[in-house]
Amino acid sequence: MPGKASNQDFDLSSLIPKEIMGWKAEEKDRLFNPDTIFDYIDGAGEVYRSYNFKHLLARRLTRAGKPALVADLFDMGSAKDAFGVFSHDLEGEDRRIGQGSNYKGGLLSFWKNRFFVSVYAEEETEETRKAVFELGKDIEAAIGVEGKMPDIISWLPDEGLVADKVRFFHTHLILNYHFFVSDQNIFLLDAETDAVLAPYKDEAGKAQYRLLLISYPDADKAKEAHKSYTEAYMPDARGAGVIQTEDGKWTMAVSKGTLLGVVFQAPSESSAKGLLSRIGDPKKSIE
Amino acid sequence: MTRKAITRRDFLKAASVVPLAGGFVPALLSGQKTETAAKVRVVLVRDKDALDANGFPQAEVIQKMLDQAVTDLLGDKDPVAAWKKIIKPADIVGIKTNAWRYIPTTEQVEQAIKRRVMDAGVTEDRIGIDDRGVLRNPVFQNATALINARPARTHHWSGMGSLIKNYIMFVPSPAAYHPDSCADLAILWNLPLTKGKTRLNVLVMLTPLFHGIGPHHYSKDYVWAYNGLIVSLDPVAADATGLRILQAKRREFFGEDRPLQPTPHHVYLADTRHHLGVSGEDRIELVKLGWQEGLLI
Repeated sequence: MPGKASNQDFDLSSLIPKEIMGWKAEEKDRLFNPDTIFDYIDGAGEVYRSYNFKHLLARRLTRAGKPALVADLFDMGSAKDAFGVFSHDLEGEDRRIGQGSNYKGGLLSFWKNRFFVSVYAEEETEETRKAVFELGKDIEAAIGVEGKMPDIISWLPDEGLVADKVRFFHTHLILNYHFFVSDQNIFLLDAETDAVLAPYKDEAGKAQYRLLLISYPDADKAKEAHKSYTEAYMPDARGAGVIQTEDGKWTMAVSKGTLLGVVFQAPSESSAKGLLSRIGDPKKSIE
Repeated sequence: MTRKAITRRDFLKAASVVPLAGGFVPALLSGQKTETAAKVRVVLVRDKDALDANGFPQAEVIQKMLDQAVTDLLGDKDPVAAWKKIIKPADIVGIKTNAWRYIPTTEQVEQAIKRRVMDAGVTEDRIGIDDRGVLRNPVFQNATALINARPARTHHWSGMGSLIKNYIMFVPSPAAYHPDSCADLAILWNLPLTKGKTRLNVLVMLTPLFHGIGPHHYSKDYVWAYNGLIVSLDPVAADATGLRILQAKRREFFGEDRPLQPTPHHVYLADTRHHLGVSGEDRIELVKLGWQEGLLI
């Protein structure tokens, strides 16, 4: 059943209206998969591929004498990857569309259920801005049911968290996009690992540091990744798991069970330890 | 892992000696130091009338700019004589353009190049202009000379849409060159279809994109009229110069030093790892011609 059907049965073309405020869909939609996405969005396709995307439906809407509107509907296959790809680009103001949204420079992006949606006007005017929002709202309504955020997000300590800048991802290429750690995959990240990079502020709200939290499929993989990271990044820690780096800040890594947590750029050793000790899931907490 | 990983701490160590430029230290990425050698000439030419009031390139002005740049670069007052230094009548010439829908190379730049290639004695049937179809284009399949012309812009995966990157259409699977943010794009210059064939590089700086958002990495908010062309025999030096302008524009616009994401390290690695050209400012002789307002570098 198209539209608001079960989580498995969305008809992509039915989720985007064919007309909005006088703009009408061009005759043919364009459909892309992970092999053909480069034909549409060049190298940016790597971002979507790294989040396991399944299909992209692109619809262009035109109106005589007005800039065109373009709606790109990405079926990411899961809600966590829809959230993940949304978290890749967090510039803009929240328009409260979907389960998270941003608007900037004529571009509205949001996620809901297993979908990431981008709607933009080829030129931003008062009228196109309104049409972009209306189009976004219609797509959101057609998707209907919400999806579940990645579990790993709920394990992040609340205190000091800059919640609207949290990135969720799977691969070291995306990690490096946001925060360069190494040119090699020293955390052994892959499609099976869930990772989150979360900025934190200290008590005074001044210093900002980062928590990288990774969930591996099993404890052996987490232990192996911890060893790989330690050997590559902080061999001089000599097993202590904590070190003051060349910028005077502190880095600390701890693994337990299937989790590996690393704090970067902490203002003090105690703040790094404190953050790692507050990681939330009681079954997997790191001390 | 076959070699020692380069980590953030390597950059921190380097920064304790020399402050990071845009969060990036090129030499670290290859573990090799650049050698002292003669400087490479790069010509930046600008004209305030290059675009009309609607932002469209003006063909006559573009031709004049290209001629100014090429004559200065090759040391001949006459543009046709200058072109004859790099193109022979017997050449088969592929003009590798870029058809990105938002900011293409532009027909005006393509035609200005084509005109001078014809002036150098090449008949029209031996000249091709192409981007995505180069592998199927007989002119490019048989080309003895290439002219590389593309717009400068930030890029979602390689950091910069560069002259180096413009040869990615010479391979059937461009995605194979995507690892580590396209770090080794310079390999593209060593393919049978490209090796040793490039006679001139034109980095189009008419309306560069200095920041990108969304899946299409584009918003008009981040495009500005720079009205320039960068011309060089060395693609790496031309890209490195364009990159400095993009970064300067970002500093001006954002009011802070905001490094490109991802880092355009393929430009520096083309120098330090692949030795395709030079990237260091100290190795480039930059000639600035024409309109000076808003030069940024």
